[in-house]
Amino acid sequence: MDFSESDKDLWKQIYNTKDLLYCLNCSTCLSGCPASHGDPPLLVRNLARMVVFGLEDDLLDDDTPWACVSCSRCEEMCPMDVKPFEMILAIRKWQSANDETRVPPSIVEIYKRGYTQSVGTNTKLRKSLGLPELQTITKMPQMLKLYQQMLMKTPVVSENDYMFNEE
Amino acid sequence: MELCLFLGCNTPAIRPDVERAIRATMPELGVDLAEVEGYVCCPAFGSFPSTDDDSHLASSGWNLSIAEAKGLDIMVQCGSCYSSLRMGLDHLAHDDLKLARVNELLELTGRKLECKTAVRHVSEILYNEVGVEKISRTIKKSLEGLHGVIQYPCHTLFPSEIVGFEESPRQPKALRVLTEALGATVESYSRELQCCGGAGGFSSSSPAEATAFTKTKLDAIIEETKADFIVVSCITCLMYLDNIQKKLNEAENTDKYNIPVFDYNQLLALCMGFDPKQVASICTIPRNLVIDRL
Ligand code: SF4
Ligand code: SF4
Ligand code: SF4
Ligand code: SF4
Repeated sequence: MDFSESDKDLWKQIYNTKDLLYCLNCSTCLSGCPASHGDPPLLVRNLARMVVFGLEDDLLDDDTPWACVSCSRCEEMCPMDVKPFEMILAIRKWQSANDETRVPPSIVEIYKRGYTQSVGTNTKLRKSLGLPELQTITKMPQMLKLYQQMLMKTPVVSENDYMFNEE
Repeated sequence: MELCLFLGCNTPAIRPDVERAIRATMPELGVDLAEVEGYVCCPAFGSFPSTDDDSHLASSGWNLSIAEAKGLDIMVQCGSCYSSLRMGLDHLAHDDLKLARVNELLELTGRKLECKTAVRHVSEILYNEVGVEKISRTIKKSLEGLHGVIQYPCHTLFPSEIVGFEESPRQPKALRVLTEALGATVESYSRELQCCGGAGGFSSSSPAEATAFTKTKLDAIIEETKADFIVVSCITCLMYLDNIQKKLNEAENTDKYNIPVFDYNQLLALCMGFDPKQVASICTIPRNLVIDRL
């Protein structure tokens, strides 16, 4: 592998914690990781190496961080406190910031109605179970508006505002 | 005691019978429930926590501040919601810069956050606050003679420093002891601590491998135990372990994957005598074998 073009400071951009540099490459983070059984497998250890070595292009192209189920076993077991699950989220954040096609569509749903799916519309079913009608944010337009105004001040929403405009 | 019930979205939208079971059982055990009016998605790890710190922590802060304004702690059943809120709170409580930034954002909406509200899982409330004795005293029916196995929601175990409440996160026991309090025999099995595999991108990006992964868990239950039911306390575990059994039966042309899955509060509600049609009616694998025995 040719490291001449690699960016030795990339880790500071992606996951700025010294703990990452203590990664032993021991693979403890792989045992018990459900997504390590995937095709392609999510190999947390390798991702840690790629961040430390500054392999920018390979990292940008890598889909595997998105297969993580967030179970945090790696975080629990890592002997060097690398906090691998936090690292996975940090890699996703960096990918989303550098490639708009990575921005997950679920955030548009949350922006528009507060949730990733339609909550509070199953009134008949809820009534048959003896449940009250839910006061969701979708039914509180003023509150939803405030939430949206707040999100507009955050990087992912302001920089990709075309995704959030009502058509 | 009084707690804010944070419902998330899957429970009220897809499995409202679980919501009914929680709302029916907790007040009878002395835990009154308040609403979190205007809450938003926890935020799910695949959404804002995968895009940037501001939108991630502002959404956590939004939800936490609603409960904080009421002076109440939050109770959650969904594992992902629990861990997202709790990890969000942990970031904000230990990082003044992040908290200041989130308060700058919240201020635009007339809210603020001081990180005074705790985030607690329903199984922890049942175990630590209500206690098994009170549960045993309150129930009218028992699961005696029935065998159960536990799926521990990993989001309530790891990382134990932040989300944990078990004495030993590698040997959790709250759900076992709570289920035994209902009269059931709880069996151990070799893959008890394996993740269900249902959350996040794994099951959509590698469907065949994810199904095979969960199959190893179900096979262990079937081969090693006499399980009549699986107990969970996480909406994702519930839906995933229930629905995947039908998929496996169809793929393998068999009917051996037929273990009903219950949220703990559903079993509790049934033992308290609530109507099964209200508290345990939505499922893929039929539950009558358990419900009829009660
Ligand atoms: S467990 Fe920790 S130290 Fe070991 S390879 Fe994984 S990240 Fe590195
Ligand atoms: S949190 Fe993600 S990377 Fe870590 S063990 Fe779980 S699935 Fe694997
Ligand atoms: S974690 Fe899942 S259930 Fe909870 S609010 Fe977010 S999307 Fe909904
Ligand atoms: S077992 Fe699966 S669904 Fe349940 S908490 Fe863990 S990752 Fe979430």
